[in-house]
Amino acid sequence: MAEIKTGDFVVPGDFLATTEEFVPSEGAYEEGGKIYSSCTGVVLVDVQTKHISVFSRTLGPPALKRGDMVVGRIEAVRDQSANVYIGVLRGREDRELPLPNMGTIHVSQVHTAYVKEMRHQFKPGDIVRAQVLNARREPVQLSTAGDDIGVIVAACSRCRTLLEREDSKLRCPECGNLEFRKLASDYRQGAL
Amino acid sequence: MEKPEKLIVDGKRLDGRAPDELRPLKIEAGILKRADGSASVELGANKVLAAVYGPREMHPRHLQQPDTAVLRCRYNMAPFSVDERKRPGPDRRSVEISKVTREALEPVLFLELYPRSAIDVFIEVLQADAGTRTAGITAATVALADAGVPMRDMISSVAVGKIDDTIVLDLTKAEDNWGTTDMPIAMMPRKKLITLLQMDGHFTKEEFEQALDLAFKGCEQIYGAQRQALREKYAIKKGE
Repeated sequence: MAEIKTGDFVVPGDFLATTEEFVPSEGAYEEGGKIYSSCTGVVLVDVQTKHISVFSRTLGPPALKRGDMVVGRIEAVRDQSANVYIGVLRGREDRELPLPNMGTIHVSQVHTAYVKEMRHQFKPGDIVRAQVLNARREPVQLSTAGDDIGVIVAACSRCRTLLEREDSKLRCPECGNLEFRKLASDYRQGAL
Repeated sequence: MEKPEKLIVDGKRLDGRAPDELRPLKIEAGILKRADGSASVELGANKVLAAVYGPREMHPRHLQQPDTAVLRCRYNMAPFSVDERKRPGPDRRSVEISKVTREALEPVLFLELYPRSAIDVFIEVLQADAGTRTAGITAATVALADAGVPMRDMISSVAVGKIDDTIVLDLTKAEDNWGTTDMPIAMMPRKKLITLLQMDGHFTKEEFEQALDLAFKGCEQIYGAQRQALREKYAIKKGE
């Protein structure tokens, strides 16, 4: 069998190397002293660190990492935190997120300024855009501290009509109810 | 169609093939826009689509497994896929085929990477001419690779059988109906592990071994076409 080199095209199950020569890295796995590809893509051989990996050419299931933007729905609001069901990862709107798909926003991460009352920032059912702080924890740690992140769609808590922006507050066009949220700069402009 | 006098004349089958010859095969990856991964397989008069969704959160929740993902397969024949209209919906046959398809695919997936999730595989037969379960498995594997689901190996699948006392590869409807034996096989082409083996009819021990050898050769060819389909979609092209 010809030796595998960087740039070779492989599919799952292709033999890459033996464990005496290399350590399997991303896209590769070891079984019985041999290293095989676990995805469809291009081989990367690192002769320096003795790692062999496969750079996947298929998109694969989306994975969250620090700094990613996500869009989700507020499920519950507590004194110290809010729970978010994460719907999509920005840039990967084509595909459902695998688990974990629950996130949490801590009071300290809601706003750049001090937040006294969590219930004035979010309400259940709000659609928020948030940034991932830590994707290794479950639930995923999220933040809305920033101008372009925060609530992008909110409904009136009395009549469920979509709220309209009035400077930094929200007004219900049906019942005139005044509400507060941590708003994103583009509230209800249709962008994810 | 009437039963022909002989299924093999001068070493040639009804459609002119040699006993160890596959029907014309065409595989294409990533044909469905809204599926996470998809593939189509055309094997002679068979036309099969496969779509993969996930890994995604499993619903209903009580079927979730805390330590692993669950693979769900659905094999379905379109009402217009056979000569006489097939009553739509799952029946005894398609429920069984869904089950054996799942069991054929499960060993190659790293299901333990996605706890509490589901991976859904949908196989739709648009046109049937015997050997649709094997074509479905072949398509589903390419669809899983297209979805980027981590896998240990591919699965290639083909049927072998006996007609007029000859062991043949890849039976057609006529050969399946009037032949003595039909044996669909699925396997990992790199590791030579069999993940599906069913048999309708009889083989002697010697015939079985001969048939198995032929199936291995057939799967090797199918595997080549599966690779080619993925290569066409995913290999780095010139100027990239």
